[in-house]
Amino acid sequence: MDGLTPSRVKESGPWQKLSRILSGFILPALILALWYLLSDNTLLPGPGRALDVLSHPSRDLLSCGSLFWNTAVSLIRVLLGLFIAILLGTPLGFMMGASERFRRFSSVVTELARPLSPIALLPLSIIIFKDTSFTEVLGLDHLKYSRNILNELQVGMVFILAWGGVFPVILETMHGVRSVRKVYIEAARVLGAGRLFIFKHVLFPAALPDVFAGYRMAVGRCWMVIIAAEMLPGTNSGIGYLLRYSYQLSRLDVMLACILIIAVIGFIFSRGLEYAGEKWLILRSRER
Amino acid sequence: MSLVFTGIQKSYRDPSGKSFNVLGPMDLRVDTGEFLCLLGPTGCGKTTLLRILSGLEEPDSGNISLSSGRLGYVFQQGALFPWMTVEANVMFPLKATGVLESECRTRAAEILDLVGLHEFRKSFPHELSGGMQQRTALARGLVTEPDLLLLDEPFASLDTRTGINLQEMLRSICNRSSATVIFVTHNIEEAVFLADRIVVMGHRPGRIVRDELLDIKWPRNRLSSSFTEVLLSFRQTFEELVDPSVTLSS
Repeated sequence: MDGLTPSRVKESGPWQKLSRILSGFILPALILALWYLLSDNTLLPGPGRALDVLSHPSRDLLSCGSLFWNTAVSLIRVLLGLFIAILLGTPLGFMMGASERFRRFSSVVTELARPLSPIALLPLSIIIFKDTSFTEVLGLDHLKYSRNILNELQVGMVFILAWGGVFPVILETMHGVRSVRKVYIEAARVLGAGRLFIFKHVLFPAALPDVFAGYRMAVGRCWMVIIAAEMLPGTNSGIGYLLRYSYQLSRLDVMLACILIIAVIGFIFSRGLEYAGEKWLILRSRER
Repeated sequence: MSLVFTGIQKSYRDPSGKSFNVLGPMDLRVDTGEFLCLLGPTGCGKTTLLRILSGLEEPDSGNISLSSGRLGYVFQQGALFPWMTVEANVMFPLKATGVLESECRTRAAEILDLVGLHEFRKSFPHELSGGMQQRTALARGLVTEPDLLLLDEPFASLDTRTGINLQEMLRSICNRSSATVIFVTHNIEEAVFLADRIVVMGHRPGRIVRDELLDIKWPRNRLSSSFTEVLLSFRQTFEELVDPSVTLSS
């Protein structure tokens, strides 16, 4: 198909290519320059000092672990929460999309729960789950006093992340299933397909782009939720915690470094998933 | 496969809850191997009739008797699965009925050869022209070697020349099989070119207004006097049928 579609860019010499890539960096460079001009050595450290923090990712900071460690903790929390959200949300979304009765049955709860910010549930989840971590859930008590990632995966934290991620997954999946064109289902039926076959080969692939969009939204939400949650009581690790702690100790260079990391990871999540979706071509079914 | 239906009737409710009769009661008998065109203006219930025959809809009353056999169905444009290649679309009815993968492939290859799409088997529908998409749709309907083939205005969205090519292709494929064919269209020339027998339907409610076996020799020449004569007579039936005041209000 690539041979048939005319190239969108008329001239694509090396200079045009370079200038197109560079044009995206003009604004960031301006912002960096502004930051440099506004910075002083007391209140707002310049980009140089933040970059100095960033360039030593494995150095211990404020005795709460390195940048690398805290970033990893936040990321693994998010991925675990997201995993649970996807695992629960996808089948629920399919059921709500496919069955009118199930949709009515569950709509009041989902409609009430959806706009409820996961952060609002943080105190409740601390009460319910205390500070139980996955070390205890898995019965690995001997790891409790060593530095182990499982110690940092609090059940309550994962719970609110799953909460934050599950609704975009449910709603987008449901939307995807409901907006599958009726003619595809009918065509499959008259061509002799049974219910299970239709689900597997028609309904599922037709809804997939929306399901995938739900996952993308869920990642974005989880990443926002975890940063906010780590800034509140209930944890003493993670990039959000480091951000707040460095603020309290007036180490604004560390704080700014954290902000940059959070922004870049958020960017990678959204762009990376967009790229992956198109790469795997599951978004082909958008043509409908 | 022969097909008899008696007293078929179907009504719908409009949004205000008033029920109106779209079809029948009507009777029709189609013989094995017959190529029947159901010709009628938009809204005369011909598509509804086809949907009832295929089991997509239940009639309110009446009886259908079908000798058992395989069913093929070709939809209007846009019913191909866009996430599947041409080949996968064509193999769908075989796979759905549990035919082995290797046999699916050989049979899909045969039918794709027949409709001239062999080299496009790995393309996706949106990469093809409208005519090629409908050839794929034909192949998907024919791949099971159906005993009853139902076609719902499959060429209505194509330009005239492409439509004519596909009509010729369809007719020559059907000549080589023993399938009973019911072809729904509102295009008079298409019906006169394709059919062994034309049933003209009128609307409100859908009913049969003319039922005639065509006596034009094969191969049919659209410019021959016998062809134009039959065409004119059906056009006349159509004109009488389509009262302008009715079409404006619908």
